[in-house]
Amino acid sequence: MWLKLAGSVCVVAAGASIGFKLAMRLCERPRQIGQVISCLAALKSYINYVTMPLPEALKKCTGGMRGPVADFFHRTAQILEERGWVTPGEAIEEVLASSSGELALGRHEHEILCVLGANLGLVNREEQYKYIGMVEGQLRMIEQEAARLRDQNMKMYRYLGICGSLIIVILLI
Amino acid sequence: MSDICAILQRDIYPCLPPSLSSVLKAVPADIMSDTYEIRLRINQPLALVVPSGDVLVNSQGLPVAAPTEAYCCSREDLNRTLQIMSRNSVYALERELQQGFLTLSGGHRVGLAGQTIIEDSRIKTMKCVTSMNIRLAREVKGCADKVMPYIIADGRILNTLVISPPRCGKTTLLRDIARQVSSGVSSIGFKGVQTGVVDERSEIAACLDGVPSMDLGRRTDVLDGCPKAYGMLMFIRSMAPGVIITDELGRNEDAEAIKEALHAGIAVIASVHGRSVSEVRERPYIGELIARCWFERYIILGNQPRPGALAGVCGKKPEEVLFQAKRG
Repeated sequence: MWLKLAGSVCVVAAGASIGFKLAMRLCERPRQIGQVISCLAALKSYINYVTMPLPEALKKCTGGMRGPVADFFHRTAQILEERGWVTPGEAIEEVLASSSGELALGRHEHEILCVLGANLGLVNREEQYKYIGMVEGQLRMIEQEAARLRDQNMKMYRYLGICGSLIIVILLI
Repeated sequence: MSDICAILQRDIYPCLPPSLSSVLKAVPADIMSDTYEIRLRINQPLALVVPSGDVLVNSQGLPVAAPTEAYCCSREDLNRTLQIMSRNSVYALERELQQGFLTLSGGHRVGLAGQTIIEDSRIKTMKCVTSMNIRLAREVKGCADKVMPYIIADGRILNTLVISPPRCGKTTLLRDIARQVSSGVSSIGFKGVQTGVVDERSEIAACLDGVPSMDLGRRTDVLDGCPKAYGMLMFIRSMAPGVIITDELGRNEDAEAIKEALHAGIAVIASVHGRSVSEVRERPYIGELIARCWFERYIILGNQPRPGALAGVCGKKPEEVLFQAKRG
């Protein structure tokens, strides 16, 4: 009896934890997209008004921010500084590949960041400004969609985690 | 020899992609020590320019005679090189690309050629860079020893124009002149004066974050990356220099700024491309300064027997020859 009870508690705890984790990721995604957008806005200014070299601009654009998004920009800058022959596109791809667990960004955002990297630092200020502005616009649309999904599905994942695990417990007992 | 190897290790190899730097690192040291230019052209052999001509090297860094055996530079090589030199920030080099050159840390000038984009009859930028000429800058302390007695008379610095064809050491000479007029020349009892260097192309002082990486003496102020005409006027108004040193005059504004400095009682030491005073006299703006005897000394450099050799020194009137190198 006690064994069954303990097992049931474990199943419920595991299910609830999966549900809450998925919900948290859903909640984190629009927040991180928003952070990327604000970093890009700062990057645009550092490039257009200060003509700061890209590694420094990538470091500074996070402006005191902490977390996976700031780490993403800092690590990209570090790669560019340490291995000058690596292109921004390659650096971004490398960082995204190694930090997919920490970043809550989806496939679309990854693609957009890779395309951004492919064009970063290659054109004049005016074109760079326009290009980053365009990427910002795309991310804003994705952010809205991500916020809608969060509002729609966050509670569902939590309930699904708890209820699903309860159903498993009932079936097993 | 160790000097140039150290310069290459410090300033040049980090600016090249591994494909090129590995070739250059393998080139015998005696060839590298004579090299003053590294030329990269798409689909053409990698060439090292030495006083006797071009040296082609293969992918192992060994000199070869046949161009077909030499290391051939690819588009990728040049794109990566520009990417590294610009630190992935081509947008930060708009002005440099318009002018067709950029300057590396250490004062090494990189000439660029490629496809230009014109807007409103002006060069907007350069895309598809197809050729690069990396000119190695060297600090040769004491190279101005021979000319200092001609530049300084009765404790006063004379307005001097250094005339030389490209690659004959104008900038190296100006750098050492700046060092000596700033710190003083004990052999002729000159104590040194406040010196202003307007370093439009960042070659004389090779500033890194505004701080000169070359020894320009203890009384030298540097305006880095500043157009000559503006820089000279800024110095006149604010820094009270005894002498202003600048490189490669050419435009009308430069000539006007020199007149301003001379009217203000400030000596000017400048350089210009050319082979002789008579040749430079034919050029607009600068020719007018020569015709009106604004300069008191003309230092002419040549490349025989080696680049940077003093070919002649003339007085206020170019016919007044004070020094003439022996021919042959």
